[in-house]
Order: sequence, then C-alpha cells, then structure tokens
Amino acid sequence: MLKSKTIKTITSKKIKLVTLVLLLANSILFAQGNHLKIEINPFFKTKVLKKDSWYVSKNNDSLQFSKIKFYLTDFKILTKEGKTKQLPNSDFLVSIFNVESRSILLENISYKTGDQLLFNIGVNEKMNTSGALSGSLDPANGMYWSWQSGYINFKIEGKSPSCSTRKNKFQFHIGGYKKPFAATRFKSVTITNAINNVLIIDFDIAILFDSIDISNLNQVMIPGKEAIEIADILPNLFSLNE
Amino acid sequence: MSFIIGIFICLGFVLVKNEEVFFEYPEYWPKPVYNFSKLSMTEEEFQLGRHLFYDPLLSRDHTISCASCHLQATGFTHVDHDLSHGIEGRIGTRNSISIMNLAWNTSFMWDGGVNHIEVQSLAPISSENEMDTSLAIIVEKLNKSEKYNSLFQKAYQDSLVTGQKILLALTQFVVMLNSYNSKYDKYIRNELGGKFTEQEKIGLKIFRNNCASCHKEPLFSSNDFKNNGLNVDSTLNDFGRMMVTKKPEDSLKFKVPTLRNIQFTQPFMHDGRFETLQEVINHYTSEVQHSPTLANELQEQIILTHKEKVDLLVFLRTLTDQKFLYNKRFSYPRETQTN
Ligand code: HEC
Ligand code: HEC
Repeated sequence: MLKSKTIKTITSKKIKLVTLVLLLANSILFAQGNHLKIEINPFFKTKVLKKDSWYVSKNNDSLQFSKIKFYLTDFKILTKEGKTKQLPNSDFLVSIFNVESRSILLENISYKTGDQLLFNIGVNEKMNTSGALSGSLDPANGMYWSWQSGYINFKIEGKSPSCSTRKNKFQFHIGGYKKPFAATRFKSVTITNAINNVLIIDFDIAILFDSIDISNLNQVMIPGKEAIEIADILPNLFSLNE
Repeated sequence: MSFIIGIFICLGFVLVKNEEVFFEYPEYWPKPVYNFSKLSMTEEEFQLGRHLFYDPLLSRDHTISCASCHLQATGFTHVDHDLSHGIEGRIGTRNSISIMNLAWNTSFMWDGGVNHIEVQSLAPISSENEMDTSLAIIVEKLNKSEKYNSLFQKAYQDSLVTGQKILLALTQFVVMLNSYNSKYDKYIRNELGGKFTEQEKIGLKIFRNNCASCHKEPLFSSNDFKNNGLNVDSTLNDFGRMMVTKKPEDSLKFKVPTLRNIQFTQPFMHDGRFETLQEVINHYTSEVQHSPTLANELQEQIILTHKEKVDLLVFLRTLTDQKFLYNKRFSYPRETQTN
C-alpha cells in the first residue's frame, strides 16, 4: 500500500485573516509612530534631468535618456548608539521619469537627527532566490530576467551618437546576485535635519556617464564583470541634499 | 469604530471556504525541496493554474500554450521535435524537458539557469522563440477576461490579476504533476502489479551498476550537472552550465534529467539528438567523448553485451507510469467540467 505524506499549509482564508489583522494593527501603530519621506530629484550635473532631452557629459558624449529605473530596498536606521532597526517590506521601484515613484514613504520608523539611513541599491540575494514575489518585486514590473533568474537592479536606456549600435542605443541592465558578480550595492546617508520628515536625495546620472567610455561599453544585459564595473559607480549617484 | 468594521470584514473572509489540495508522495521518498508557503494549496488555485497551462492566450499571437511543448501523454514534453517549436514555428535551441516531480528540483532548465519553480514560467513567456510576450502583457490580457476574473476571484478572493498570482497558479498546477506509480514503484513497494520478470530484475541490476550514480533512485534524476560525454553540436555551441556560472569547469555540463516515463519522452538529451533509447544506450557504451570535464562516473568504458542492453531497455520501460500519463486531473480543462 502506498502511504503518502501530505504537506500542510495555511489555506488562503487564513492568510487573508492574518493580513487583515496585521493591517489593522499597523494603522493603530501608525498613528503613534513616525515616518520619513524620501524625495529623489534627478539631475544631469546642475540641470534637471528630463526624458528625451539632450545632455553632454565630461567625455563630450551627447546623451538622451528614455528609461531609468531601479530598486531601493532593505531600508534600515542605524542609530548614533549603534543600534540597527530594520524596516520590514521596504522595497521600492523608482522610475526616474515617473514623479510619484520618486517619492518613497517609510512608515513606522523612529529616528533622530544624527542617525543614519541605510539601504540597498538593488535587490539582495535572498529576494533573488525566493520565487515569485509581489508588489514592487512582482516580475511583471519588467525588472526580472527570465532564462537566468534574478532581478535587474538598475536599468538605464537611451541613445548617444557615440554608440555605434543600432539606432545609437545604449542599454544597461545591471544585476546579478551570485558572487563574484553580485551587483547589489549598499548606501548610507546621515540624517541631519529632515525638516517635516522629508529627506531630499539628489540623483545625478552624469556621474556615471563621466566615468565610462560609452563608445566601448554600451550594452550590458547580463550579470558579469561589466555589470560590476557599473554597479560600483552607482552609489555615487545618490547624495543627500540639505 | 474602524476596528469593529475590520472584524466584520475578517468574518466575511472566514466564510469563504476553498477546498484544500494535498501534495502527496511516497513516504520513503526524500522531502521535497520546494517550500509550499506561498501557494494557497486549494483546488481553485490548482484549476486556475491548469487553465493557464493550457491557454494559448499566454503567447503573443495566441497560438502557443505551455501544453504545446509539454504534452501530458508524453510525460509533459515535446515529442518528435529535437528542438522545441514555438511561436510562428521558430525553433528554440533546446529540446523541452519532461516536467514531473518538480518539487524535488533545486534548479530548472538544462543549464539550471532558473533558480526557483515559481519563476520558471517567465522563461518561455518572454523567450522570442517560444511565447514571445511579457508577463506584464499577460496580466493586462487576463485582467480584461471575464473568465479569468472569475477564476482569480475563486482562487484568491480577489479578481485582480497580478504577475505574482499568475506565476503562483502555474506553480500550483505544475508542482502537482507527480509520478510515483510506475511498475518499478510498485515493485519497490511490493504492490499488486509490481512483480518484476527475471529480465526486469537483471535490467535493474545493470542500471544500478552503471546509471544510478547519476540518475538516482527514486527520482531517477539528480540536482547535479554532469558532462555525460556528448560531443558538441557545432551548429548550436551549447556549453550548458558554463553559460550560467561562467566557470570553465562547468563546460558541457547539463542537468541530470529524470528517466521516469522515458519510454515516451523522445527525442533524448538537451538537443534531442537521439531518437531511440537504443541509441542512448549505445552512446553510453561506445560513444562517450573524453574531454576535461567528462564525469568521473563515465571515465571507464561501460561494457554491455547485446543481451544486457536489451535487459536494461526492458527495465527502463518499467518506469512508465500510466496513471500519471492518463490522469484526467492533469489534462486539458474542458469548459463543462465544474471541478
Ligand atoms: C516552445 C516550447 C515551450 C513552451 C511554449 C513552454 N516550454 Fe517549458 N520548456 C521548453 C524547453 C525547450 C525547456 C528546456 C529549456 C532549457 O533547458 O533551456 C523547458 C523547460 C521547462 C521546465 C523545466 C523542467 C525542469 O525539470 O527543469 C518547466 C517546469 C516548464 N518548461 C514549464 C513550462 C510552462 C509552465 C510553460 C507555460 C508557461 C512552458 N513550459 C512553455 C519548451 C517550452
Ligand atoms: C555521469 C552521470 C550519468 C551517468 C552515469 C548516466 N547518465 Fe544518463 N544522463 C546524464 C546527463 C547529464 C544527461 C543529460 C545530458 C544532456 O542532455 O546533455 C543524461 C541523459 C540521459 C537520457 C536522456 C533523458 C532525456 O530526457 O532526454 C537517458 C535516456 C539516459 N541519460 C540514460 C542513461 C542510462 C541508461 C545510463 C546508464 C547506462 C546513464 N544514463 C548513465 C548523466 C548520466
């Protein structure tokens, strides 16, 4: 006789119940807690960055951007006393040419000036190996590779006459979670005053294009050495504006 | 006040009752690798996944479904084509793999490029040679479909279609495609219909001596990648695992596939180069190519007499599981069927 084991799992109704209770609990806590809003302002050097406008880099490359999208995830507060407070489910997909996505609301966090805000640029290894996720991490957002599983941390697309590619396009799809080609990068900023609970972060894409030769490096679509070269520069694109 | 309303909403959900499905497998098998926590394990989610699996809506021009390349009666693989055909007859670079007992896999595809069963479907959906679309487009199409709004509502108490839900529903279907009722299984369990002939017993012995180190019982596969001595097809230049890890020591290594239902899953190997099991056995006995990454298990030549080859072949046929190949629960969902 065949004996079989069964795998017991929570049925969907129970999951619903749990989430609702959590939601209710959350809203009660929120009223007493604190929050922090992050606004990301895109620039090309001193100019405001706009879709499909022309810019010139230090290397004299004329550049136009059609898409800049990236993940900011795993937000934490590191207090002056050295304690870390993790913010659960703080995973955001920012699309530079979509105003709403440039503003990130961190709920239920308490902080003081002098504390540090830590986050990842990209998606950590665990999330890369956890199957189908939801919300900003839903693979339907177009930031996921298919034949080789994994998130695209950072997408930059546009064109430049310096690229001798089809239609002068450059495409950087930066990602990869396996060593030695793990492309997720860490960033920290010190919260100095955060007036009205708002933290303004400047994002300057020129810093990347000033430091690479796009006539040679213009198509990065898989994890590897080239992706790492670009990933190493990405944290420098973000700076606190106070 | 809002808290009280909350309680009422909660109660509303408690009243929705979905039928639970159980993941069954023989108790002497290893524990599945897959952790089922994201699945709702309900009949409704299973049926939704089944509809998706058989629906050509998942391809750009509505011509190709998962089942186009993964047919039930042939162990959910594509027969008679060495390289699977997709949209507009475009030919892919690999032969489809039979899909069964997936919960025991640590990675998917011939090169292990996919790291989790829940994201496996993204590969065919977005491959130009296969379904040539994107998950975002499918989400949009399904959100416009009354049939799917109702199926998603039943499965998730929410008619809104998301990429995650599509992937989970497909997983709920494919993860249930388990095969453990072949004559071999009955022989191991001492069950009715499991009496081996002398020839089958000899065949099993030959198998255990020469093949089982890689095609491990009871799944007849393993999660390792090995070079089993096939020469490189210069028209495809497929180096297998190395394309994922970029390590030279992984050159020409491929996943060790299951041999369950092997009688029906021709053609064989990642590029479908062999039409018959005789050719496969001849490969192992006389055509193994020596190269720096050839598996240790195959360094020494396997020597089999003609009779032993036949015995081995006869044994391989005991891995056929009719109950699996003809299980109606896994077949095309006819509209009249209510469950
Ligand atoms: C055009 C043919 C085609 C279509 C359509 C197709 N597949 Fe596949 N499938 C393949 C091929 C070829 C492979 C092996 C690919 C490789 O290793 O590179 C495969 C592999 C798989 C595997 C991996 C099995 C293993 O053990 O690693 C699963 C699971 C699978 N397909 C499920 C699906 C699902 C679900 C769909 C529908 C969303 C689908 N397939 C659509 C051809 C196809
Ligand atoms: C070194 C490990 C190893 C040993 C030993 C081994 N195999 Fe394999 N086998 C593989 C690998 C790896 C593949 C897939 C290779 C590919 O497609 O590139 C495979 C593929 C197959 C296939 C094709 C399966 C399919 O779905 O296409 C058959 C049939 C097969 N082996 C039978 C046997 C038999 C019979 C023996 C014993 C004579 C044997 N194998 C010994 C590793 C091994």
